[in-house]
Amino acid sequence: MLAAAGTLILVLVTAPPRVGRATLLIRGTATLAAMTAIALAPSLDLVLLILLVLAVLHAGLDTRRDFALRLRAPVLAIALLALGLALERMQGPPVLERFGAVGIVAGLVAAVGLLPYIHEFDPEEPVVASPIPWIAFVGPLLAATVLARVTHVLPPEAGGAFGAMLIGLGLVNVLWGGIASWRTQNEAVAWRYSFMADWGLALCGFGMAIADGRAAALILLLSVVIGRLPLYMWSRQALREKAPAERPINLLVAAALAGSAPFAGFAARVLILRGATSLYWPLALVLAAGMLLWLPGSLRLGRSMGMPRGRQAVGVGIVLAVSVILGLYPQPLLSLAGL
Amino acid sequence: MIEIAAAFLTWLGAALVVLADGRRGLALGLALLTAGFGVLALAGGQPAGAAAVAAGGLIASARCWRSGNTWGLMPAGSTARLVLCVASALLALWVAAAVTTGPGAPLRFAVLVVIGLMGARILASRENNVVLTSVACFGLALAAAPGIGTPSPGSAPDILGGLIAAGVMFVPAGPAQGAIKGRAGGG
Repeated sequence: MLAAAGTLILVLVTAPPRVGRATLLIRGTATLAAMTAIALAPSLDLVLLILLVLAVLHAGLDTRRDFALRLRAPVLAIALLALGLALERMQGPPVLERFGAVGIVAGLVAAVGLLPYIHEFDPEEPVVASPIPWIAFVGPLLAATVLARVTHVLPPEAGGAFGAMLIGLGLVNVLWGGIASWRTQNEAVAWRYSFMADWGLALCGFGMAIADGRAAALILLLSVVIGRLPLYMWSRQALREKAPAERPINLLVAAALAGSAPFAGFAARVLILRGATSLYWPLALVLAAGMLLWLPGSLRLGRSMGMPRGRQAVGVGIVLAVSVILGLYPQPLLSLAGL
Repeated sequence: MIEIAAAFLTWLGAALVVLADGRRGLALGLALLTAGFGVLALAGGQPAGAAAVAAGGLIASARCWRSGNTWGLMPAGSTARLVLCVASALLALWVAAAVTTGPGAPLRFAVLVVIGLMGARILASRENNVVLTSVACFGLALAAAPGIGTPSPGSAPDILGGLIAAGVMFVPAGPAQGAIKGRAGGG
């Protein structure tokens, strides 16, 4: 929540003059209010109802896409989550619990907008009306909330299937997101795929159900909110002007996006590889190979930032500094999360 | 017996929302579904929740009724929708009454069938009035879902569900605007 609020303030302060700050502030604050309600909601049922409100309000924003089309993915997500929860609560054969676990995982992935439920993305659409807030602003908090609370609903017998599905979908998203962010033609679309790749690693971390995996997932989601999202927002102007740059700052941004040392992504990758090794070492091999895919895509995204100037340069500096602090000393954050 | 009748009423309402394209048909479906969920909430020992569901659903239904005067029940090409209504009812009935055990089978049936039908309706439709009515029904079903397997879920989900059902009908969901000049990026 604090990271999301910090990102909103940072983006507001550094927004170029052509962007309506008042509109951004109102929409961002409303989303933050909904996220606070999600975090404080006493039950998952209330979380789903709040999510429905958020989905309707988001779909109602001015955009080039139909209201009905924009509502489809969130409603599918809520329906899958609701059916999954309902099946978990019913008394019946164990296979129902497994179907329930499938529904919860599929619903979570659909809410965030990951493979196989990728949200429709229009590169020309304003960021607040696009699917980016789902994957990079609301999604991390939603996933943390749902995955923390689902343990109270999910019986231990279904826990293995639940974790395996998270890891499987995570690997698919790592590969798809990594390759697509490298190979796709449009730079804005490449940024969107890079969010998917980060989410893939986070899902693998959550699926491991051990402290190292959860810690890595937490750091990754935090780096999505306070790192990748503001950098994407600042890259929009350079994308419009088609003004890529290859300066040292672009290389630093690429390093941060790729998860190089000493940035936050590196600590997360070390933790996730350690967790995977202790769980099942071939998984660590696959993950390590998948992590190499970040490099070409990140170099491309770093170039697409252009040459940040003025407030945006300060913003990029702040993001990189926070990422370094988080990468070198993540323990206070992990302690805060009880890990 | 009353709970079984309420569950049937809920399915009938959801089926009407699926089968109707006109505002009055949608409003009637929403009203029937509201009545069904209201009775189920009352039977579950949630009088405040039942009142909230009834108020929210009826406000939404009235709003929908007043916004048009066509029924549009089962227009040409509705066979697939009819099959969906019957098949989903049979599947939900099988899960609620035969696969699962314990009390509350009518509520299980109602929640499963409405979430399934409304999800399908929203995914298949591009008309805003149909989608908004379906979202209102969907909200009421989500509000009733905590009653499955939870002895006393409290009135909060019902109240929030009622508010969503009433409020969603006032969302200004205009048609897509096409290219928006001068604001192609940024925030």
